[in-house]
Amino acid sequence: MIGRRNPVKDKVAFANAATTGFTPHNTDRSALSLVTEACIAVLRDLGMTASDVDGICGSIPSAPQVQSALGIPDVTWFANPLVPFVNQLTAAVAAVHAGFCDVVLAYHAAYRLPWNTAGALKDPFRRGQALSSGPSVGPGPESVVAAVGYTAWASRYFHEYGAGREDLALIAINARSNAARNPAAAMRDPITMEDYLAARMIRWPLCLLDMDVPVDGADAFVITTAERARDLPYRPVLVHAATLGIVDHNEEDQSPSLHRHGQHVVVEALRARSDFWIDACDVYFPYDGFSIIALNWFENAGWCDPGEAGAFLRDNWDPVTNRVLIGGRVPVNPHGGALSEGGTQGSGHIREAVLQLQGRAGDRQVPGAETAIVTAGGFFFNAQGVVLRVG
Amino acid sequence: MDVTDEELVRLFPGHPLTHDNKAAYRGRLNRLLLVNRCATCRRWHEPPKPVCPACWSTDVVPTPVAGTGTIFMAIFLHQGPPAEGVDYATPYPVVTVELDEQEGVRFTTTVVGAPNDEIRIGRRVRLDWATRGGAPMPVFRLSEGER
Repeated sequence: MIGRRNPVKDKVAFANAATTGFTPHNTDRSALSLVTEACIAVLRDLGMTASDVDGICGSIPSAPQVQSALGIPDVTWFANPLVPFVNQLTAAVAAVHAGFCDVVLAYHAAYRLPWNTAGALKDPFRRGQALSSGPSVGPGPESVVAAVGYTAWASRYFHEYGAGREDLALIAINARSNAARNPAAAMRDPITMEDYLAARMIRWPLCLLDMDVPVDGADAFVITTAERARDLPYRPVLVHAATLGIVDHNEEDQSPSLHRHGQHVVVEALRARSDFWIDACDVYFPYDGFSIIALNWFENAGWCDPGEAGAFLRDNWDPVTNRVLIGGRVPVNPHGGALSEGGTQGSGHIREAVLQLQGRAGDRQVPGAETAIVTAGGFFFNAQGVVLRVG
Repeated sequence: MDVTDEELVRLFPGHPLTHDNKAAYRGRLNRLLLVNRCATCRRWHEPPKPVCPACWSTDVVPTPVAGTGTIFMAIFLHQGPPAEGVDYATPYPVVTVELDEQEGVRFTTTVVGAPNDEIRIGRRVRLDWATRGGAPMPVFRLSEGER
């Protein structure tokens, strides 16, 4: 049962977003160091100090650690949900709307750890650190849990629709072309179809370029009431509708089908709660932690029919900029997405959406952008989305 | 084979054993693939849960399956965790098989005894057993036919 009730619509806003930028190497820094840098930047930029914050919500490190490091005197609400970042967003927005706090400092550290890259093990201070108590990896290779699940469903996607690696490649190429214009991005050298097809196979059918880049970096946000945001320097970005989406059989190998998983719940809920949908979307952000996730989002969001995402991307390809421009107008993950800006578990997509709607996206700015749709997360237990508009 | 809980955990190092799946792992020691079936509504579910997700009955019974099914997803690992008997020089197949007992009830493991280009979605398979670290491990072999 998916309800239409949306009392929080347009009541809570992003006042600002900031990033450290991302690098595909181990830095000599802690996640806390990256997060505090982004948090200080996002607050100073608004003329705010530590005492203006009364709510904290992030991934790692814990909110009490961030509060202590930043000397935030009094906090009346905090939380550390699992990623992706719409988990943080929905918690923070609900807390502000409910009055548990007025100004939430929200953050996410994208941090190279053993769960996402063996390269993290070269740093002795990272060994043994986990992102969360999420699904454990199996005891051997005979499993499709965690990251492997998307590879398995990519095989099913190929089987059902006759799709191929050339379809997935378009997601990766689009991301890289966009990242070239994003100074915060980790991977900025353009790639071609030939580069993609020659990339190292990791788990057939997904290769290295189908998987997000493990990075060091952090994003930070200020979330407050729309009313308060109007008194701050930048144009408020209103949270118009937001949701998480999950179905009953949500284990990677038991998910019902490509036609029923978390993404379908997300789209149904957002369409029920939002006053507009993709026809009025100025910038689109399909999550691309794995290329197959983004391909499926295009179909489930309604840009095209099931199985036709590859053809849709080719039909909407801008040969001049070597990227997708839907209808010649709407860019897709203009920051470079998880595949090229870096694996930010959705915080990068939301940060870019905020900057675009505030008119602060530099060379990537979409002229006159007033609405953005972020469809984050994957298929199983972390699909989610948010509809944003300018206030 | 009757073993204590301590012994069971020792026999399957690294496996996420719980009170909900311990019976399924005991079944492996007897080379039986056990899947939970509800004694009230007769529906199957996987992985093992303490209650039937379809009717909320707690009378769920770890029940041997026929071991036949159809490959639903198939991938080939060019790299992966170190494991006895696994050499990624030849990409290692991992399949999710839809079991014949009920639509949507699936089990994931590898396929043995077949070249990779024969391991395709839609191929029929049957259960067999290998060993890993001295403990039986369920695997599939290709059968004739496709679905």
